[in-house]
Amino acid sequence: MTASSTKDQEGMTLGVLNAFRFRLNTLAIVLIPVCIAIDWAGHALASTLKLPLFLDSIGTVLGGLLAGPWVGGLAGLITNFISSGTVDPIAAPYSIISLAIGIAAGIGGYYGWHKTWPGRIALYILIVLVASIGSTPLNVNLYGGQSGVAFGDTVVYAPLVKAGWPTWLAAYLDELSGDLPDKLITVVVAVLIYFGLPNRYRALFSVWRRPSGEPEPAPAS
Amino acid sequence: MAGGLSLYAEGTSLLHRAHPLTKGVLTLSAIALAFIAPSLWWVVGILVVLLALVTAAGVLRRFFAVALAILLPITLLLLAVQGFANPLNRTVVFALGPIVYYREGLAFAALAALRIACLVSATFLFSFTTRPADIAEALMQRGLSPRMGYVVQSALQIIPQTLEMAGRIQDAQRARGLETQGSLPRRARAYLPLMLPLVLSSLVATQERAMALEVRGFGLKVKRIARYEFFDSTLQRALRWALALAVPGAIVARVAGWR
Amino acid sequence: MEVTRPALVFDRVGYAYEEAPREAVSDISLTIAEGEWVGVTGPTNAGKSTLCLLAMGLAPHFFGGRLKGGVTVLGKDSRQVSVIERSAEVGLLFQNPFTQVSGARERVDDEVAFGPECHGVARPEVEARVAEAMERVGIAHLAARHPMDLSGGQLQRLALAGLLAMRPAVLLLDEPTSQLDPAGAAAIFDVLAGLHQRGTTILMVEHRLERLCELCPRVVAMAAGRVIADGPPDEVFNREAVQERVGIPVFTRLARDGALPRPWPVRVGDAATAFAKSIA
Repeated sequence: MTASSTKDQEGMTLGVLNAFRFRLNTLAIVLIPVCIAIDWAGHALASTLKLPLFLDSIGTVLGGLLAGPWVGGLAGLITNFISSGTVDPIAAPYSIISLAIGIAAGIGGYYGWHKTWPGRIALYILIVLVASIGSTPLNVNLYGGQSGVAFGDTVVYAPLVKAGWPTWLAAYLDELSGDLPDKLITVVVAVLIYFGLPNRYRALFSVWRRPSGEPEPAPAS
Repeated sequence: MAGGLSLYAEGTSLLHRAHPLTKGVLTLSAIALAFIAPSLWWVVGILVVLLALVTAAGVLRRFFAVALAILLPITLLLLAVQGFANPLNRTVVFALGPIVYYREGLAFAALAALRIACLVSATFLFSFTTRPADIAEALMQRGLSPRMGYVVQSALQIIPQTLEMAGRIQDAQRARGLETQGSLPRRARAYLPLMLPLVLSSLVATQERAMALEVRGFGLKVKRIARYEFFDSTLQRALRWALALAVPGAIVARVAGWR
Repeated sequence: MEVTRPALVFDRVGYAYEEAPREAVSDISLTIAEGEWVGVTGPTNAGKSTLCLLAMGLAPHFFGGRLKGGVTVLGKDSRQVSVIERSAEVGLLFQNPFTQVSGARERVDDEVAFGPECHGVARPEVEARVAEAMERVGIAHLAARHPMDLSGGQLQRLALAGLLAMRPAVLLLDEPTSQLDPAGAAAIFDVLAGLHQRGTTILMVEHRLERLCELCPRVVAMAAGRVIADGPPDEVFNREAVQERVGIPVFTRLARDGALPRPWPVRVGDAATAFAKSIA
């Protein structure tokens, strides 16, 4: 991992763009539908276990960690497109948030955040911020500021607005009350799955983690 | 159940036969107009048109079954919260003990709920009358890369297969004594043992599938040949343009003072 | 047909997978002429699958890793040709029937058409090729079914049809029947025999030695990443090193244990003759 630490020293300004040089090769293309299916299965399992969370972006985050921002972003985007067309049209405007979550996870994966504890916490905070800041304006336009989740709307939003808080702030805290637990479990599960993958499989990822144009590493002796 | 995800209902209506692109533009424009329209009655008008089209497509009964399940809870939640806590609230309508409901908030909630109803109706109008494979094919004929077309088609196939596998894993883990009922912490603890085997098996299959696709020439840069043609006409093309232009038109009208 | 040029040439090939400490295959030199049907066998981790991946170009293009020596297929160097370009003339059938369908098609015939469509073959030609390929592997009656509703044996034949629709000159098969029942396996081998007669070059990894000896005029035995014998099956399996490290076909073992004179037979027909002779 010496290569990535020298990249860090080049500074965050342009260095982050390197994350987008991940190869979108056949393996990456095939990974996207699988990540989408994991998003769906994660949500379906949460429903059957009657957990009070969505857990519908585990595949998106995992795809980002494994294969970079393009795979993560596309997985998130298409997950939402498909649910919009089949089970929940209201998900459509939030496609853009899922895209952003996948990209955020992809950037975190590029810097190897999932490998250290401070990094994992940073990944969680980044994803929570992306989800909550991104969703709030959509909530304001769609639901007048509510999040559409009964718990947040009745326990957070309504009392705060009644107490005279600005609606945008109440809307943000309402959204945050759902995102904080949901994204925590999402990131934890995605990281656990990442490290549960067989070594042979992760070796394959290290091949195409290498951005195109970068030379192959010297043979290990 | 392969292909079990799609809402598509076989039919021969005009909407079933229309070019997927025409329906797509119709759906997107209707949604945009519902959110641009300034007042309740305009939105009601759009909703009525959409419901008429759903009826014409012959899928009204199926539509109500799925749409009401989505719309009822969110409408009630909006009315309950906005009628009680909306900054515009002035005029008392009724009180349930200490909880007072206001006209302004309820009207606000009604408008939001109607707009969401338009969003749901327009989307389902499209989903009920369009084969998923046709959407991908139509988009690829308009320049979507075949690799992205593959992603969409493949996802539509893999999702139901994965959900089916999730069911099998649940049965197997339950048989081994995993508790999937009871208190919240107990149910939460069951999540990972169900999720891990599912994800690992689907991820490991990706490597072989990727190889098998390359062996068949997937990703080769050649001119794509259309797999089949869609019914298109001057009328449909004109309709697409009209619907697409209605959106910027409505925005201009709003800016110019449409109330 | 008598003038044969090499279809596959391995020239002192060594290959190690990405992050692997040792080479999966070492010092492989093999020349396979056009129209040959060569069987490859050996114990687990002998490097048989790697041989197929090298011939297809998946190693190193898909797996990364380090390649030494030269792999030339139909006159083209593996380093210069991508896998998808090579797919026009070389096909590779894997073990697992379930991961070889594209996963994007809802009908068997559309699935067979996937490869030719990727290659931009014109519509009427695609349809002709699909019909021919389905006919050849015997799945024409399943054309309208969903691929995921097929049995393992049917799926493997579907995967083979998907490759045949590309009209490959070289066909590589990595234990194509290891997950099939005997009837399913027999169906695949029948198709291969037909292809061999039409002049397709076939390289087939197979661990069932009796099958291998019946079908393949030439056998390559591998162990620990190296070729330890190469020749007609009766020659290869009469070598002690092969019997020790790879295995011994059941008829050969019977002849050996029955103390018949060498060379011991490897095929059922030859065994019958040999035993008849020894009794007489």
